[in-house]
Amino acid sequence: MKGKTFYSSIGTVLLASSIALTGCSFSSGENETSGDGDNESSGGGDKVTVDVFQFKVEFKDQFEELVSMYEEENPDVEINVKTVGGGNDYGASLKSSMSSGEEPDIFNIGGPTDVDEYEKYLADVSDTEAADAALDGTLSSVTRNDETLGLPFNQEGYGLLYNKQVFEDAGINADDIETHEDLEEAVQTLDNQKEELGIEAPFAFPAKEKWVMGNHLANTFLADEFNHDVMETYESDTVQFEMGDQMKRFLDLQNEYSIQPTLNLDYSQQVEEHFSLGNVAMIQQGNWVYNTIESMDPEFAEENVGLLPIPVEGYEGTIPVGVPNYWVVNKQSEDEVVEASKNFLDWMYTSETGKQFVTDEFKFVPAYEGYEDLEIADPISQEIYNYASEGNTQGWVFLGAPTAWTEDALGVAMQEYIAGDITWDEVEEKATSAWEESRQ
Amino acid sequence: MQNRSLWFWLFLTPVILGLGIVVVIPFVYGFIFSFTNWNGLVATEFLGFQNYINLFQEDEFMNSIVFTVQFAVVTVILLNIFGLGLALIVTRNIKTNNLLRTVFFMPNLIGGLILGFIWQFIFVSVFGDIGNMFGIEGMQGWLSTTNTGFWGLVILTAWQMAGYIMIIYIAYLENIPKDLIEAAKIDGANGLQRFKNVTFPLVAPAFTVSMFLTLSMAFKIYDQNLSLTNGGPFNSTQMVAMEIVRTAFSDNQMAYAQSKAVIFFLIVAVIALTQVYYNKKREVEM
Repeated sequence: MKGKTFYSSIGTVLLASSIALTGCSFSSGENETSGDGDNESSGGGDKVTVDVFQFKVEFKDQFEELVSMYEEENPDVEINVKTVGGGNDYGASLKSSMSSGEEPDIFNIGGPTDVDEYEKYLADVSDTEAADAALDGTLSSVTRNDETLGLPFNQEGYGLLYNKQVFEDAGINADDIETHEDLEEAVQTLDNQKEELGIEAPFAFPAKEKWVMGNHLANTFLADEFNHDVMETYESDTVQFEMGDQMKRFLDLQNEYSIQPTLNLDYSQQVEEHFSLGNVAMIQQGNWVYNTIESMDPEFAEENVGLLPIPVEGYEGTIPVGVPNYWVVNKQSEDEVVEASKNFLDWMYTSETGKQFVTDEFKFVPAYEGYEDLEIADPISQEIYNYASEGNTQGWVFLGAPTAWTEDALGVAMQEYIAGDITWDEVEEKATSAWEESRQ
Repeated sequence: MQNRSLWFWLFLTPVILGLGIVVVIPFVYGFIFSFTNWNGLVATEFLGFQNYINLFQEDEFMNSIVFTVQFAVVTVILLNIFGLGLALIVTRNIKTNNLLRTVFFMPNLIGGLILGFIWQFIFVSVFGDIGNMFGIEGMQGWLSTTNTGFWGLVILTAWQMAGYIMIIYIAYLENIPKDLIEAAKIDGANGLQRFKNVTFPLVAPAFTVSMFLTLSMAFKIYDQNLSLTNGGPFNSTQMVAMEIVRTAFSDNQMAYAQSKAVIFFLIVAVIALTQVYYNKKREVEM
């Protein structure tokens, strides 16, 4: 009797709660229908809805503006943009939305590792105009079996950003700095007259940021041994550190002549506090810092920032330029959605309106042909586009390194080296064995 | 009777459903996934205990456990001393009692992430400047070595949580019958003796509560760790929670991270349960 009561009450409860729950879903269902009704009355006809899931927080507003321009031109397409913060967070949320079944139609991926992971979602976009216009080499890491699986976002490049005013005051001509010895001399000149120049140190070296060392610094001295090819890096079983001595030399130079201690100096201190405010003469960064510098001091950003290549023997006067991210279209979406997605990406990079927007508003260094006559909005990007179009570039091979190797193996080892715990030879050993382990 | 049990279950349903959906089911799923090679999208292989064997051979994970245990020991001791100390201060008859309680509790209302950034500024810039000004070597370069990173985290946590623990002690201190203290006073016990022999045993239940809280909190700390040191330098101030997140989301080894999380869960559960068991035994019945 008692048992029966128990079960019957559970039954009642379940019934009650299921009514409550379905109640919820009913009401949300109604909302959706009414939403659709609105669209139909305004747009008319069938709308194709494209969900974009992108990671670049910096250009969220501008991107949404471009999207609404596209929607005006194409009333039968509706594009929803969702932006989730850069780096690791994006990867995690992309993964969770994929596994929860809310798959976006357009999303972003990074290097070849991502391509492998998401391969079953990636549609072939080789039939788009944008794919034809993409600059040589920018598609190599998203090409699999003659299929082009992604379209480059933009190009980014880095080197030593220097304060033109300080260089001038110190009597240094940046054009004369080509080799490591030249750079060392310039750094010493700067260091000797720190007080007159009003700087604290020649460099601000953020050893706290593993990516600054493990990705960018290391890349310049690793690109040569992988022939500047991301895919060759991706397939390599080992790393030799053929230019290890130069890497050490350059790391030591930055570290020794930086504001101390370097191990707790981070990216925002480096760029905002030290470089933008003129505390240091040089930082090793790329065109992505422009907006940050501009928000600190627009005039300084516009007039006073120059780009100096990192000196690598045999590669004097070249800078590493690469494509950090790609747009991809979800193959699992319906055909018309895939088509609409491709059209949108095409329009963004190849139409006149789109191109204008990419350079003026996004401030991108375009990875496509056909931008020769357009002015790039910020001077650092302009300089990088010049290097790129003259072919004075090195590859971004670090995108092909094993997952997290650049930061958690090499970056960490470099930090230990800076702390004085291990020697440089041990750095190379550790990094090499970590690489080999993960490629077994 | 029938009605009562119906209502009983009706009121319990939301909690059971909620707990089931967000805690129990994911936990079981996670446990199952830890035996596979799940990468967040697909699991293709059943690996058995391979993940568990690997993680005990991984230096980084073991280091993070050692670091976390050290951190937990130090913070649990400090937090309880500070919490009890603050509680003793504000339960005396001082005029600013309520103001002081608010002030001491305040840090606890600020989110850990923001606190981390505030203290990062204090340790790096403020400490650095003071060190420069007075030539104190020990105040320069905070957070750039493992040791300063460790103590930075301890200071931050102690500062943030002491007010919370204080509240728990206040509740127990105020419940101590005045006549007991008075009787001790009449018997000629001095302040220290009164504290040691009367007050202290009577707040023992508070130790159970606050040691459990501080211990499990010290183990699970993540946001302060992330914003203060971010594991640096060279991942040496990386706590277990952070190590697990890194394995999952930057190394992309979801199943492996899951197996680490299971081990982590077992450690915390065992420590917490043992400690509750022993403290319960020692408590004085009122």
